[in-house]
Amino acid sequence: MVVDSRSSKQSLFQPLPGGIKLLMALAMILAAGLIPLENWPAHGLLIGMIYIGLSIAGVTTGYLLRRLALFMPMLLVFGLSAPAVRSDGAAWSWTISLWLRCTVSFLAGLWLIHVLPFRELLITLRRWRCPAVLIAMLGFMYRYTFILWDELHRLQNARAARDFGSGPWWRTWSTNSQMIGLLLLRAMERAERTHRAMLARGWDGSVRFLESDE
Amino acid sequence: MHIRDGILGPEVCLMAGIISLGAVSYSLRRLRFDLEDRAVPLTGMLAALIFAGQMVNFPLLGLPVSGHLLGGVLAAVTLGPWAGCLAISMVLIVQAVLFSDGGLMSLGANILNMGVVGAWGGYGVYSTIRRTFGSSHAATVAAAVIAAWLSVLAAATLFCVEFLLSSHSSGFDPRGILTLMVLYHALIGVGEALITGGVLAYVLGRRPDLIPELGSIGPVGRVGGFAVSGVVLALAVAAILAPFKSELPDGLDAVSEQVGLSALEVERPPLVLEDYAIPLLARWPQLSVSVAGILGTLIVFAGAAGLAGMTRRTTPSIVTRSIVTTDGSHGG
Amino acid sequence: MANTEPAAIELRRLTFQYPNGRLALGEITCSIPTGERIAVVGPSGAGKSTLLMHLNGLLPAPPITSDDRAQVFIQGTTVTRQRLRDIRRQVGFLFQDPDDQLFCPTVRDDVAFGPLNLGLSREEVMSRVEAGLAAVGMADCSTRNPSELSTGERKRVCLAGILACQPAILVLDEPTSNLDPRARRQLLEILRAFQGTLVVATHDLDFVIELCTRVLVLESGKVQADGATERILSDPLIMDRYGLEVPWRLRKP
Repeated sequence: MVVDSRSSKQSLFQPLPGGIKLLMALAMILAAGLIPLENWPAHGLLIGMIYIGLSIAGVTTGYLLRRLALFMPMLLVFGLSAPAVRSDGAAWSWTISLWLRCTVSFLAGLWLIHVLPFRELLITLRRWRCPAVLIAMLGFMYRYTFILWDELHRLQNARAARDFGSGPWWRTWSTNSQMIGLLLLRAMERAERTHRAMLARGWDGSVRFLESDE
Repeated sequence: MHIRDGILGPEVCLMAGIISLGAVSYSLRRLRFDLEDRAVPLTGMLAALIFAGQMVNFPLLGLPVSGHLLGGVLAAVTLGPWAGCLAISMVLIVQAVLFSDGGLMSLGANILNMGVVGAWGGYGVYSTIRRTFGSSHAATVAAAVIAAWLSVLAAATLFCVEFLLSSHSSGFDPRGILTLMVLYHALIGVGEALITGGVLAYVLGRRPDLIPELGSIGPVGRVGGFAVSGVVLALAVAAILAPFKSELPDGLDAVSEQVGLSALEVERPPLVLEDYAIPLLARWPQLSVSVAGILGTLIVFAGAAGLAGMTRRTTPSIVTRSIVTTDGSHGG
Repeated sequence: MANTEPAAIELRRLTFQYPNGRLALGEITCSIPTGERIAVVGPSGAGKSTLLMHLNGLLPAPPITSDDRAQVFIQGTTVTRQRLRDIRRQVGFLFQDPDDQLFCPTVRDDVAFGPLNLGLSREEVMSRVEAGLAAVGMADCSTRNPSELSTGERKRVCLAGILACQPAILVLDEPTSNLDPRARRQLLEILRAFQGTLVVATHDLDFVIELCTRVLVLESGKVQADGATERILSDPLIMDRYGLEVPWRLRKP
């Protein structure tokens, strides 16, 4: 599973520095959070802006609909808690406003995925004086997530090859827990080996970066 | 459990963000002290593991959605509360920025609920139970299971507090929100507890040396562990009892007047947090006491934990366990 | 008469015990002159990897601190805690699984890791990275994510990262495992071009024939045979006794 494939697309936003893109997304989310509840024109404006932004960034409609389809059910349920819990008539307008606000924020997040590759995020964090150790850890995490995902798929395939149908739910839960447990064992053992490899190349605990921005 | 943007008000997000920043920085310092040059590979890998583990689907009977591991307690049990908090925070950061799986603005609140309450708090409960009941495999698993359930509940309460402090949420009956959240998260908590227990039981069966002894993860200390677990317990209990505590806030008010405590409260120097909270809280006279109580509890316990941490900082404790397999084999 | 230059690697009665008390290495004594290419072969569990890890101070852990107890000498220097930095500068170690050593988000970052730890300037680091990638034929992959590369490519990137530190000695643990024939051949070419001392632990005896002039047979932590490649590997008695097989190339018709 390649995480960064979406952000490698060329778009108008690409040359902007990572920090600006992050701030733009945050600004949109902040705006969504600050607009008064029933100011429908403001809601509409934000939706329009985010739609334009998504189009420029090259987000495909298919992707958009797929992500929204996953996001909406939870949001709908949460929104319905208002009429369920509140007694006043303003409940529904609160709910609709919530749906719009959350959707705009979610779409701002989708926009960010498409314009900010992981490496740029790390460079931005470095510029913002984020501790070097944390950035090194994030880089590690990124790299090893791919490896662990592959191992997880291998484990799942191996399990599926011996799994002749759906057993009782607790059996699936037990098998899945064991799978995560095995993954944890392998992961920590690999981490120890990696540490050794780092030592072999002169690692002494201080993080050093290659100061280049490409 | 991942809070989406738009649910919490920006001012609450900012507050939570500041607290999370402090907590993550502190975790980073303690972690480097404990693990030194092993911090980067171990924590990075743990974060990747939690990330991958969160993807595993645990089917729920007949429902179209499935359960997932959160991993706060699991992370803390494996590498300690500092690494646990950092690992969860990193997962949340990547999920928010690269997957839009959780709010960007609400990142601070998510880290606070799942990284701090989840990992720190969960570890506090875990270590307290383990200290009391011993280090057998059964006790370890039981401690983790209980800690996982309680930490989910505590995080739910904290979310309710955050929500109720948001300006968008006026007109909401706090008890109603709390009841809904508690019911939902009590169920989620069971799932989390079962998965955490299952994973830990497997790991202990294969490689018990991978799960560190309590003393080896830097000086968490008796007081620190007790303090943090106290916080989690307080939040969890608040979650459970609050829907039913209809008369108590009034009762507490009456009692405090009778005993003259209200006069004492006036003389206490105003803390920034409470000053900020009061205008919003003024709308809910019934809940203001309990909310302020929870916040006050948090602050008091945080102070106690901080003090406990300070007194132990002079004695370094380095994790020296090696997990090279006992026959040293890698194939040669 | 005698060569006064110290041997690249010298082992003096090297002994090592696992934590559970089992003997891993028993009094290994061996001298490897500069520029030699030596293979360490033997059945699984013989202690090959354990031996290799003594060459750059990964074992014993924690490292010894006094010179008198030193049993491993790299270019005349004892392998002790104080000298680890220098030792690891001189000895490059390629581990069996490339995913254990490729831990940075991009190829270039990873190859730069070693030079950065050496404290070199940015320009020097960049030039070492370019040279390292060029030596392994991966110059156009510098911005790629290692997860996108094949096993052979990852192995080459690992090697680039080690070559970028310009070590005098290269130690390789099962370098050809999981490599397809083409990747194996590419690795062979790269290693043939390496000018320094080579120590290779491997099951791939054909690889040994093509690369190494000397073979050490290890079994149960002890040196059972030590000599020229062709002599040792074509001796069926030695091969059979230690769980190996005479490579086809050397079999008498």
